[in-house]
Amino acid sequence: MMGLRVENVTKSYGGVKALDQVELTVDAAEFMVVMGPSGCGKTTLLLVILGALTPDDGRIWIDGKEVNQLPLEERNIGYVPQDFGLFPHLDVYENVAFGIRVRGYLEVRIRERVTELLEIMDLKGLESRKPRELSAGQEQRVALARALATNPSVLLLDEPLSNVDEATKAQVGTNLKEVQERSNITTLCVTHNPEDAFGLGERIAIMYSGKIIQCATPRSILENPRNELVRKLIAPMYILWSHKS
Amino acid sequence: MGIKERRFTRDKFEFAITMLACAVVLYMLVSIFYLYVAVGQSWNLVVSALFDSRVIGAVVISVSSSLIVGGLAVAAAVPCAYLLAYKDFRGKGILETFLIDLPQTFPPVTEGLVYLLMLGPLGLAYTYTAVIIAKFYVSAPFTISFTTRSFKGIKESGLDTIARSLGAKTRDILVRVLLPLSGRDMLAGFSLTWARAMGELAATLVFAGAIPWSTEIIPTLVYLTAAETPQVAIAASVIAETLSIAALLSFRWVVRRR
Repeated sequence: MMGLRVENVTKSYGGVKALDQVELTVDAAEFMVVMGPSGCGKTTLLLVILGALTPDDGRIWIDGKEVNQLPLEERNIGYVPQDFGLFPHLDVYENVAFGIRVRGYLEVRIRERVTELLEIMDLKGLESRKPRELSAGQEQRVALARALATNPSVLLLDEPLSNVDEATKAQVGTNLKEVQERSNITTLCVTHNPEDAFGLGERIAIMYSGKIIQCATPRSILENPRNELVRKLIAPMYILWSHKS
Repeated sequence: MGIKERRFTRDKFEFAITMLACAVVLYMLVSIFYLYVAVGQSWNLVVSALFDSRVIGAVVISVSSSLIVGGLAVAAAVPCAYLLAYKDFRGKGILETFLIDLPQTFPPVTEGLVYLLMLGPLGLAYTYTAVIIAKFYVSAPFTISFTTRSFKGIKESGLDTIARSLGAKTRDILVRVLLPLSGRDMLAGFSLTWARAMGELAATLVFAGAIPWSTEIIPTLVYLTAAETPQVAIAASVIAETLSIAALLSFRWVVRRR
């Protein structure tokens, strides 16, 4: 199966289960959002898929291949953390080029790929800027360009809109969706914000206390929340929904 | 109690703290700069001693060996810092104490004796190499400590995880992330290592002796001549002190500019 599959994954910290037999399938090229309150295990799930944390139990499959035994650097996953994690000592060009440079691409190929991504991400002219000279929206685009430069199989996004101010959030969100659709990449995004989740996700997985309690399309969740807890977690969306309709 | 009264009480306390700090600063500055007063008192004798072959030899051995120790400390700090920052193993805390804290508190004279007993039979005692070995043990921990702190900070920020997700292996992470981002801390560690190596006396004296133009460094020269020819000791000390102050200030300047 192409895409990402998380199978029965469990991860505990000192007896506390951060992930409790998590089951999740993200289809190829799908934009899936995992939504849940702070501390529910979202980031742990992301780090387990990334390979930065080892699960106690369960398996991770990427494009039909089990990756549990693969080290982080060999999983071919693009990762954009909450603070974007740009290398502060490198300019925009070198940040985007990082992944392909360490993979030993020729300089000509690196230039081609970086130029292409800078154009797609509307970052032309900012090549020699350092991360501290960028706005949050620009930082996010650089981080995305860097993550996509290596043609990863899966893109993992940790709270991608939490560091973006309200005024530019809608635009950054739209841009994120466009980039994901254009690159056709299987994407798993985690957020605590229902509005972000419903705005970005083709499907949403609601997570609570280390468990996925419902996974469906935004509309289906709004119309048929599995239980009272789900209804509570997505409560802000009912207000927005009633305003829209 | 009204607002004014409370502010007054705090000010009195603040004044007392400031005075206490000034007293400490004065004590430190007098300790550092009194040497220059002593030079002024016997100017001619000290100036002629500055050109004494033995003094020049001690300066050359001190400066060159301290620079080598600084370089070796940087080379040693990188793998040690990587181990301490990135590897989890039983006894890591104790290892850190042995690598960083103990050498700074271990009696240098005992350390010199240990080297004399351990490496003396190998023909290393009373050689230039012995000077470097003795100085390295007490001064390298500064660089190791600064580099470890920096590596741990980078690990905390998750930049190495991002680099790995992009396909970077350990060597790439070291060369492209850890070292460039730790340059400032490593330079600061190098400067303190150099300064500490310049001042090392006991271990060097026991293990390397004090052979002019071979193992005699400024501190041993001062120790051996202070009673009989104090002008030589003062001349050597004033050179060491001036070099140390100049070096620390210039390193500080370089670090702030980066």
